[in-house]
Amino acid sequence: MSAVTARKSSGALGWARSAETGRILGTLALTLGVIAWAGADLFRQDLALLGATYALLALGMYLPFNLAGALSLAYSAYVAIGGYAVGLVATKTGWPLPLAYLLGAVASAALAVLLGFATRRLSGFYLAAVTLLFGVAFQSFLLDAKDITGGALGIGSIRPLTLFGSELDRRTFIALTLLAVWIVAVAVDRVRRSPFGVALQSSRDVPAAVEAAGVGVPAMRLTVLGAGAAIASLGGGLFTTANQTIGPDTFTLHLVMLAIFMPLLGGQGSAWGAVLGAVLVVELTFNLQIFERSGSLIFGVAVLAVLLIAPGGILGFAGQATRWLRGRLARGKGAQEKGARP
Amino acid sequence: MSAQLWVSVVQIGCFFGLVALGYYLVLEGADFFNFALGPFAMFSGLTASWLMAEQGWPLGLAAVLGIAIAAVLAVVTEVALVRPIDARTGGGELPSLIAVVAVLFAVEQLAGTLFGRQLMPGRSWLPHTSLDLGFVTVDGQTLALVFCTVVAFTGVWLWMRKSRYGRILRAVGSNREAAKTLGMPVGRVRLVAFALAGGVVGLAGQLFAAKAGVSFQSGFGWALSGFLALVIGGTGSVWAPLAGGMLLALAQTLVPYYLGSASLDYAVLAVAILFFALRPSGLFVRKVRV
Amino acid sequence: MTVLLEGAGLGKSYGGVHAVDDVSLRLSAGEVLGLIGPNGAGKTTLVDLLDGAQPADSGTLSIRGRRLTGPPSRRARAGLARTFQHPHLALDLTVRENVLLGAAAPKLAGVGGLLGGLVAGAFRPSGSRFDGTLHRVAEALDLGDLRRRCGDLTLGEQRLVEVARALAQEPSVLLLDEPFAGADAAGIAAISAAVRAVREQGCGIILVDHNVDIVASLVDRIMLLRFGSVVFDGDPAECMASPEMQDVYFGTGGERVVP
Repeated sequence: MSAVTARKSSGALGWARSAETGRILGTLALTLGVIAWAGADLFRQDLALLGATYALLALGMYLPFNLAGALSLAYSAYVAIGGYAVGLVATKTGWPLPLAYLLGAVASAALAVLLGFATRRLSGFYLAAVTLLFGVAFQSFLLDAKDITGGALGIGSIRPLTLFGSELDRRTFIALTLLAVWIVAVAVDRVRRSPFGVALQSSRDVPAAVEAAGVGVPAMRLTVLGAGAAIASLGGGLFTTANQTIGPDTFTLHLVMLAIFMPLLGGQGSAWGAVLGAVLVVELTFNLQIFERSGSLIFGVAVLAVLLIAPGGILGFAGQATRWLRGRLARGKGAQEKGARP
Repeated sequence: MSAQLWVSVVQIGCFFGLVALGYYLVLEGADFFNFALGPFAMFSGLTASWLMAEQGWPLGLAAVLGIAIAAVLAVVTEVALVRPIDARTGGGELPSLIAVVAVLFAVEQLAGTLFGRQLMPGRSWLPHTSLDLGFVTVDGQTLALVFCTVVAFTGVWLWMRKSRYGRILRAVGSNREAAKTLGMPVGRVRLVAFALAGGVVGLAGQLFAAKAGVSFQSGFGWALSGFLALVIGGTGSVWAPLAGGMLLALAQTLVPYYLGSASLDYAVLAVAILFFALRPSGLFVRKVRV
Repeated sequence: MTVLLEGAGLGKSYGGVHAVDDVSLRLSAGEVLGLIGPNGAGKTTLVDLLDGAQPADSGTLSIRGRRLTGPPSRRARAGLARTFQHPHLALDLTVRENVLLGAAAPKLAGVGGLLGGLVAGAFRPSGSRFDGTLHRVAEALDLGDLRRRCGDLTLGEQRLVEVARALAQEPSVLLLDEPFAGADAAGIAAISAAVRAVREQGCGIILVDHNVDIVASLVDRIMLLRFGSVVFDGDPAECMASPEMQDVYFGTGGERVVP
C-alpha cells in the first residue's frame, strides 16, 4: 500500500512539474505576444499599459480577497500611493525612479498593515464598508494636501525612467511593464499552490484549524494585505511612469470595483484568472468599438452571469471542459484496449 | 450656523433615513446588507427625471413608475441572484456581498447606458408651495420629503405591528431559526422585505433627486450613506434608521462648516473605525424579545 | 516518567453555568489519557481550554514546566496539536494539501516565518521538503489517494485526514476530540494504531470519546467528567467498575444517558 501511495504521489508531482513548466512558458509566450501586438502603436500601448495596471491591482487583491476571503476595498489608495511615490521622487528628488517603486510599495504595505490591524475584527460587509470609507478619505486627502500631492492638479511632467544611463522609450518601458506583470502573476500563482497558499486558503474556510496547526491567522492576513498593497502600488507606479502624470482622479474607487470582478470573470482558481479578467475589462470598456459606451454594462452583466452559471470563471470553465475531454479520450482509449485484449 | 442649514440637515437626514429604512427591512428579513439599494434609489430617480425631461411624462406617472421599477429591481435581485447564490454556497456572507456589489455595478451601468452619463435635475413635487416659519422658509420639496418620510416610517411601523407579514418579519429578524422551525414562510417574507425596501428607497431617490439632481453614479454614495445611517442608528426599532440618518446628516453639515470639507471624510472614517472596533449595535440596541 | 502537560484549577463558565469547574490534570510522556463523560460534561470545552481556542476564566497550564498561554497558534508551536469534534478541513483542497498544512505550519510561525513562507512559496511552490513527513503520516493512517478533494470524502475519512494533519505537526501533546465518531472499522483500526505508534515515540495523548469500549482499550488512564468536574481519575478497569461510572452512565444522575 505504501509503495503504491508513494509512487502515485511522486507521479502526481512529476506531472505537476511538467504542467508548471508548460504554464510558465505558455504565459511567457502570451506576454511576449502582447508585447509584439502593442508594438509602436500608441493606442495599443495605452491598452496594454492599462491592462497591466489593472492586472497588478487584481493580483494584489488576489491573495487577501480571493484566497483568504477578506474583501478590503482600500486598493485605490495603494495604487495611488504607488503613483504619487513616482511623482514625488521624480519631481522633488534626483533619486532613480526604481527607488520610487520600492518606496511606494513599502509605504502602501505599511498603510495596509495599519488599516488591516485597525479592522482586524471585521469581516464581510463591515470590512468592505470601512475600507471603502478609507478609500473615500484618502481621495479627499489627495485633493486636500495640496503641498504634497498638488491638489486637484496632481503632479505632472514626471521624468521618464532611465536604465543604465539611457532613457527608456515608451515602447520598451511598456514591454518591461508587461514582463513585470508576468513575473508577479507567476509568483502569485505559485504562492497560491505553496504551503503558505494552502494555509491562506484554509484560513478562509476553517480559521480555527489553521490557528490550531500553529499559524497565526491575523498575522497571516496582515502579511498578505501588505504584500497585496505592495503589488497594487507597483501597478500605480508603472502606470504613472509611462503616463508621466498623476492626479486624484487617475485611480478612483470605481477601479476597485472593477478589480473585484476581474478574477471572478477570469476564474478565481488561478492567479492568471485575475490577469485574464483585467484583459477582458480593458477590451470591453476601451478597445471594442462595437460596444461603444455599453462596454461596462456588458461587463457587469457578464459578471452576474458568471456568478450564477460558471462560479469557476472562464479559466475554471475551460479547465472543466479540458478534464471532460481528457476523460472522454481516456475512456475511449480504455475501451479500445479492452477490445484489443483477447 | 444659519437656520437654512438646519433645513438642509432635516432634508438630508430624511433621505438617509429612508435609505437606511430600506437596509433595515432587508436586514430584518434576510440578515444581510443590500448595498444595491443605493443604485435602486438612483435608478428610480433617474428613470423619473428622464421620463419627464425627454419623454414629457407628467410628474405623478413618472414618479410612480420610478418607484415601481426600484421595487421590481429589488425583487429580481433576490429571486434571480441572491437566492440561487445563497443556495449554492450555503449562505456565506462573502458570496452574497459580491453578488450585491455586482448588482450595484450592473444597475449603475444600465442606468448610464439607458439614460446617459450626465447629471439630470429632478423636479420638485411641490414647486409652488413654501412654508414661512418666520425665521426660516421651507421650500415645497423639503415639505414633500419630510411628509413622505413620516408617512413611510409610520407605514412601515404600523405594517410591522399590525399585518401578518410584518409581524412574521419581526419574528424572522429576532430569530430566524426559530421562525423557520415554527413553519413561518421565511422565504416569502424575505421577498416582501426586499420589495418593500426597494419601494422605500425608490421613493427616497425620487424626492432627493429634486434637491441635488441625480446621475448614474449617485447610487454608490447613497448606498454608503444609508449603510452608515443604519449602523449609527442601529436596528432596535423601526425609527432607529431615521435617528441615524438625522445624526449622519447633522455631522455631514456641521463638520465641513467648522473644520473644512476634507475633514468630513476623515471624521466619517474615524467614527466608522471606532464604531466597528468597539462593536456597538447602534444607538438603539435591539431589545430582547421573549 | 516526565510530566508533559500540567493543568491546575482550570475553569470556564458561561453565564453562571460552570462548563469546566476547577479541573486539574497531568499528562506524562507516552501516556494516553481518556476523557469521558456524558454530553455536556465539558469535555470539548476542556480541550478548547488546553488548546487556547477559548480563554480560560481561571487556572494555569504548562507544557514541560513552561507556562502555556496565548492563542492556539502559539500553543501549537509549543508542541500541542488537536482535532475537532466536527472535522475542520478545507473542503476545496486535496487530502495532501490539508495534511501539508500541519506539516508546514511550524515553518510559518511569526512574522519572519510568514514572510519567509510567502517568498519561499513563489520559488518552491510544491512544498516537496515536507514530503517525508507527509508520506510517513499518510502511510501510518492509510490515507489512500492524496489527490482527492476533502469535500468528496466520507465523515470517517475526513476524521482520518484531520488526525493526519495533527500528526504531521509532530506534536508532543495530541488532543483528539472524538476521532472515532463516524469512522468505519478500518478507520478506527488505523487511528488506534496511529495512537499507539505516536505513544511509543513519547507523545502524550488526550483522547475524548463517547465510545467507552474503544477508549478503555487504548488508554492508560481515564478521567471521568460530569458537570464540568472530574469525578474519577485512574485506571481504566477500575473506572469501568467504579460507582461513579455506574452513576454517570447508568444511574439517575439527571443527565441524558449516553451509553
